[in-house]
Amino acid sequence: MNDTSGVYRVPAVAMSGVDLSLGRGPSRVHILKSIDLTIGRGEAVGLVGPSGSGKSTLLMVMAGLERADAGSIMVAGEDVGRLDEDALARFRGRHVGIVFQSFHLIPTMTALENVAVPLELAGIPEAFERAEHELAAVGLADRRTHYPAELSGGEQQRAALARALAPHPAILVADEPTGNLDEETGRHIIDLLFAGHIEHGTTLVLVTHDPSLARRCDRVVRLRSGRIEEALTPP
Amino acid sequence: MSDKALAAPALFRLPPSLRIALRELQGGLRGFYVFIACIALGVMTIASVGSFARGLAEGLAHEGRIILGGDISFSLIQREATPAERAFVANYGVTTATATLRAMARSPEAQHSRNAAEKSSPGATDGAVAPAGKTTALVEIKAIDDAYPLYGPLVTEPAGSPATLLAKHGDVFDAIVDPAMMARLNLKLGSRFSIGAAQFEIRAMLTSEPDKIAGGIAFGPRLFISQDALRATDLLQPGSLVRWTYRVRLPASAGSEAAVQAAIDASRKAFPSAGWEIRTRSNVSPQLERSIEQFTQYLTLVGLTALLVGGVGIANSVKYYLDRKRDVIATLKSMGATGTRIFVIYFTEILLLALVGSVGGLLLGAALPFAVSGAFGAIVPLPFVPAIFPGQLALALAYGMLTAIAFALWPLGRAHDVPVSALFRGEVAPGRGMPRRRYVVATLGAIAALAAFAVAAAYDRRIALIFIAAAAAAFLLLHLVAKLLMVIARRVPRPRSTIVRLAISNIYRPGALTPTVVLSLGLGLGLLVMVLEIDGNLRRQFVAALPARAPSFYFVDIQAADVDRFDAFVHQRAPGATLERVPMLRGRIASAHGVSAEDLKPRPDAVWVLQSDRGLTYTDQVPAGSRVVAGEWWSPNYSGPPLVSFDKRIAEGLGLKLGDNITVNVLGRDISARISNLRNIDWQSLGINFIMVFSPATFRGAPAMHLATLTYSDGGTAAEENAMLEAAASAFPAITVVRVKDAIEAVGGLVGKLVTGVRGASVVTLLAAALVLGGALAAGHRHRVYDAVILKTLGASRRQLIAAYALEYLLLGFATAIFGVAVGSLGAWRVVIDIMTLRFEWLAAPAAGAALCALAVTLLCGLIGTFTALGRKPAPLLRNL
Repeated sequence: MNDTSGVYRVPAVAMSGVDLSLGRGPSRVHILKSIDLTIGRGEAVGLVGPSGSGKSTLLMVMAGLERADAGSIMVAGEDVGRLDEDALARFRGRHVGIVFQSFHLIPTMTALENVAVPLELAGIPEAFERAEHELAAVGLADRRTHYPAELSGGEQQRAALARALAPHPAILVADEPTGNLDEETGRHIIDLLFAGHIEHGTTLVLVTHDPSLARRCDRVVRLRSGRIEEALTPP
Repeated sequence: MSDKALAAPALFRLPPSLRIALRELQGGLRGFYVFIACIALGVMTIASVGSFARGLAEGLAHEGRIILGGDISFSLIQREATPAERAFVANYGVTTATATLRAMARSPEAQHSRNAAEKSSPGATDGAVAPAGKTTALVEIKAIDDAYPLYGPLVTEPAGSPATLLAKHGDVFDAIVDPAMMARLNLKLGSRFSIGAAQFEIRAMLTSEPDKIAGGIAFGPRLFISQDALRATDLLQPGSLVRWTYRVRLPASAGSEAAVQAAIDASRKAFPSAGWEIRTRSNVSPQLERSIEQFTQYLTLVGLTALLVGGVGIANSVKYYLDRKRDVIATLKSMGATGTRIFVIYFTEILLLALVGSVGGLLLGAALPFAVSGAFGAIVPLPFVPAIFPGQLALALAYGMLTAIAFALWPLGRAHDVPVSALFRGEVAPGRGMPRRRYVVATLGAIAALAAFAVAAAYDRRIALIFIAAAAAAFLLLHLVAKLLMVIARRVPRPRSTIVRLAISNIYRPGALTPTVVLSLGLGLGLLVMVLEIDGNLRRQFVAALPARAPSFYFVDIQAADVDRFDAFVHQRAPGATLERVPMLRGRIASAHGVSAEDLKPRPDAVWVLQSDRGLTYTDQVPAGSRVVAGEWWSPNYSGPPLVSFDKRIAEGLGLKLGDNITVNVLGRDISARISNLRNIDWQSLGINFIMVFSPATFRGAPAMHLATLTYSDGGTAAEENAMLEAAASAFPAITVVRVKDAIEAVGGLVGKLVTGVRGASVVTLLAAALVLGGALAAGHRHRVYDAVILKTLGASRRQLIAAYALEYLLLGFATAIFGVAVGSLGAWRVVIDIMTLRFEWLAAPAAGAALCALAVTLLCGLIGTFTALGRKPAPLLRNL
């Protein structure tokens, strides 16, 4: 496989020989096959490829949400494969922000509470003040007491983005963050996403089907059938 | 059912709503197990209680003539029938006469020890005499003639007829003795003992007597003797507490119910003032039947409580089911289904599921009496005939369906207004807000129907109404408690600890478990505390501690000629103790304010007063332990027309007021008196008290026996009591000595059995409460898993999540426990005071124990769910969400 290390000397993500199969018996599917991937600190990487190619799974493995069967995964200097369930949770709380296609806000918490939760879990005393600031940064200051179902799709995703950025993670992973949004709203979200990336120097790993969005990244990694097909640096 | 089957032409002829409902149910009963179990449990309880009661009633009717000992019985208290009365009774068929009374049996050692003590210390035989009370025993004598029994067998060991087993040899009479008496007095076959002035020899042991049930509570073992023997005891004195019963076996040719009624009518006409209590084979023991009916009602109410508690589970199941179906409902609506059509579809489903639960409960409820009869039939001393009683089963089915409808209508009504936009949005607060007015009205209608049904089917409607009011109050209170908890949790300043904040905010969030947990746990715990408090109070009353100033003895049948000697005897042997003595007669209320007793319509709690004879006394002083609350007590030297003082509760129950006249039949004579005052009586002092107390001149010249109580200042030690028992029985062979602790034990044994019955039925309710709680927590589990996964994704450790959830359940459980204990204690207080008319004392230990148990169950149930939620890996869920 190609080693696709870029110009960044200290890697935020370093994966080598990562293998992952899911399912049991005859329905077991080999999803990631010998993945070697290094992403530098502050780098923005777009993961592209057809449906079922393993993009989201690779993201999950990177975020410690899925355990690989083989290979080593170093993220923000931590060997993710050696961490137990609770250590993984703490690791995510400290280093990883995640934005999902389906937002995954907690429906029974207000927008403000949703954003404050990771800060609280990280033991930050002024969690709610920071959460208010983050919500204001994504333009939702006046929607903070609203529950997710009272927000539009775009607003929900903005709240989810605020939640992901609030703890100032080292790495921000986003799984098709505009997949459920219209073009205009999607563009706004992406602007916010990249603004956060640039402002905090956060490493950004983005799964997308959108070529124009991929072009905004420092590097594009294409997957096919669980393997990295090619890594390109956009012009 | 397969699609193919559903597509069959026959199904297409079903209404579309039913077709869709059936199709929906093809998905299986997942999510409805609690719903079905809740209904099945309640219906099972009501069906089995009803079937048991009917089985008992049928058994009593079927075995009526054996239990009664004849087709008709005429019973007289304190006097034998006159020759004319006997001749009248004998005219109808074969008759038998029996006399029953309580007396003291003394073993030969009693006399020896008394003689020995008098020799060693002349004149001071008290105190050190008795060898632990084993020489005298209170016995229940039944003096029979050769015709006894008319129906059923008298089984003895060795076997024999009364004529052969109760013969006389010289001065000694043979006796058939309950083995319990032999054990108590250390006697065996052939041993001798004495009663009054007569000597007896044990000829046979009693195995069973056919008419035992009609006898009521026995304070001592049974003893069969002949009537000649009874007369030889010298216990038969004017006014002695002896009951003479004359039973008739009608000839087969004249044994119809009409013939029985004709004989009764004729007896009333021929002897209007006989004062006899007439029973027939179909009316064997009104008191027993009343007890069974009352007990049935209590158990039915317990079953209904199980259904009501289960109702919360029903409402939850329906709500969560409809929550899961929001997308389906929205889709159906997007395809043109109206709100009403949606309601009809899901209402049909709920009815079908309720039917499944009800039928399951009916099957179990109908089978239970057979199983219990098979397992314990031989040891239950009642004539129980297990059978299928369609009426009882229909009643239980109706309760089950009505409960399901009453609790399901509200959430079903909300389904009417599920917006199509539900397809595109999540939910803020599942099932918030009121349904349309028609559903509110229908819900209220169903609740009213359920209440009306419960009242209509009740034996005592007052109690049914109290129950309904109490249930409504408990529901309302717990609902308000849940709301209050949520408001408080919302207003609490934001805690610094994340765990505490998560726990507290989980209490008030939309869709929080608070209302369900508070209601199910509160009702379950409330019931548990209520049962425990009632149980504890009953035990305290009958088993544990006697009132501080309770007497140690009742002395019955003290002849007027003996009273001075008796008083001196007691004062000499127990100088510090208090002796109370009053004259006592027995009499039956013949009429009240001009209406004969048979035609009076008393309140259910006063019926018993008319069913048999009652003790009565006369005095010029207000009896100790009672207080005049209306009218005036007569002056000390009053000698005008007869006046009577009545127990206030009973007077109200009989519809009597001051100034009314009542007539009582005493010793075959009707005596009328005017009610001059009403008293509140403290029955629990266990002192001497009577419902009716007459002015002294009323019974001047009547042969009254005296009744006395003896109360030791320190409550009486066992040694003191045994010594007095032995000495009194020895010095006054004709006086019956009832040790209060023994009598309380006899009553307590019966109460214990009833309490066990109530406990058994309550277990069903607790099971329902646990099911509802478990069901609610399980239903909330889906949201918990989602929350836990997202929180873990955001960095929450398992320890943090467990701590937050545990704290939430603890807070909820603790707050609910306080109110559950309050609700249960209030309920127990009213039941003990109003229905049982006993004194209530709040018992902290059982309430605290129940509250702790409830807390533990909540924590356990909650954390089991939490552990499974935490065990889930995030990725697969995030993929599927």
